[in-house]
Amino acid sequence: MDSETLTASIEAILLTAKGPVAVAALVEALDDKDVGAEQVETALASMVDAWDRPASGIRLEKVADGWRCVTPAALDSYLRSYHGIAARQRLSQAALEVLAIIAHRQPVTLPEINFIRGANSASVVRTLLERKLLRMAGRKKVVGKPFLYRTSKEFLIHFGLERPEDLPDPEELVRDETVSAD
Amino acid sequence: MTTIHEPESNSPPVELTVFSGPLDLLLHLIRKNEVSIYDIPIVSICAQYHAHLRAMQELDLDIAGDFLWMASWLLHLKSKMLLPSVDEGEEDPRDELVERLLAYRRIKELASYLHDSDIVRRCLWTPDLETKISSPAEPELDWEDVDLRLLAQTYLDVMQRFEASHPPPIEVLPLRYKVEEKMTDIYRRVVADGLVPLLRDLNSRSDPEEVVAVVVAVLELIRLRGVFAEQRKAFAEIYLRPGDRKLSTAEMLHHGENSG
Repeated sequence: MDSETLTASIEAILLTAKGPVAVAALVEALDDKDVGAEQVETALASMVDAWDRPASGIRLEKVADGWRCVTPAALDSYLRSYHGIAARQRLSQAALEVLAIIAHRQPVTLPEINFIRGANSASVVRTLLERKLLRMAGRKKVVGKPFLYRTSKEFLIHFGLERPEDLPDPEELVRDETVSAD
Repeated sequence: MTTIHEPESNSPPVELTVFSGPLDLLLHLIRKNEVSIYDIPIVSICAQYHAHLRAMQELDLDIAGDFLWMASWLLHLKSKMLLPSVDEGEEDPRDELVERLLAYRRIKELASYLHDSDIVRRCLWTPDLETKISSPAEPELDWEDVDLRLLAQTYLDVMQRFEASHPPPIEVLPLRYKVEEKMTDIYRRVVADGLVPLLRDLNSRSDPEEVVAVVVAVLELIRLRGVFAEQRKAFAEIYLRPGDRKLSTAEMLHHGENSG
């Protein structure tokens, strides 16, 4: 397979795939003895560069251990206008805090979340579960057997993370703020 | 000191709801007073915290509970701070509060990072293929293998599937028997005969709809104490006899009104 066909087929797969596509899945789909993970990675890297220009409405990004096509954020208003979507639902401060706690300490139970926030978070957790940003991860073996929560793949995709560990260290964020405040 | 806001009579309780919880309000007060989180002036912070609480005329009980719990903790700390410490090595009563504030502040930072990320990421769109992608590929047929018999069979299959997913509508017929009429009818017979065998009466009626109307009518008469029912043993005949109340026709016709 020549490099042009390789790039074109990866592009076609990503454009029609549902959700991020792992490199291994691309290698398997292309089914060519000369095309391994290395060749696909190289092709993807050059595609990222080729698409990242002002005249292009598509970008390539690596997220949740896979690759996908997205539109640049700057074009959001035109897309919303075309699709007739007025505004997107925002995440409340409480929702962001619950997400932050779960992302940072997962798996974690509701009582633990409540303790750290100092406020009842049951309804927020329920909303985040409905929006599929969280998932259940069994029960903790303590009195009452509370449910354990983890962030979902949707969470990684939404926040553009490859792995949960890619979240910045809160200690560093605090330190940065203290430095800039002084 | 913070000024105590007097909320307008019909304004929503915004004062506390802008804070995501009691720890959030405390952090705000600490920042506003420009004091160190490791050396919180409990007396002054406690007063300001309570001033904020008082500014709330009404508050969702769920949220209020969290804020009130913190208010009582602050008062407890305040009383501890005012007491002279007995020995030197005693722990600072504020330690636990400081720890929780620090833990919460870390989470708040992470939340604000997620917020910034969300602002940009929410504007990204991806290919929407919901409508374009059909069900998994079906085996293709050779054109020569398609004959009229297969076509007919396919038609029957499709129709069967259609009927399975579109069951015939249930027809609701108008009621042919009125409970009120049955009540008057039975009550009149009970009063006239003194004793009416209910099961024999029901068995003599062939229409199940009528049987239902009669049973409901009898239950209603029993409820109004116009009729008593007796049964010697299980499955034996049920006899109806006059109850301890005299029922008027009007009462029976409007029986539904006081049964709620």
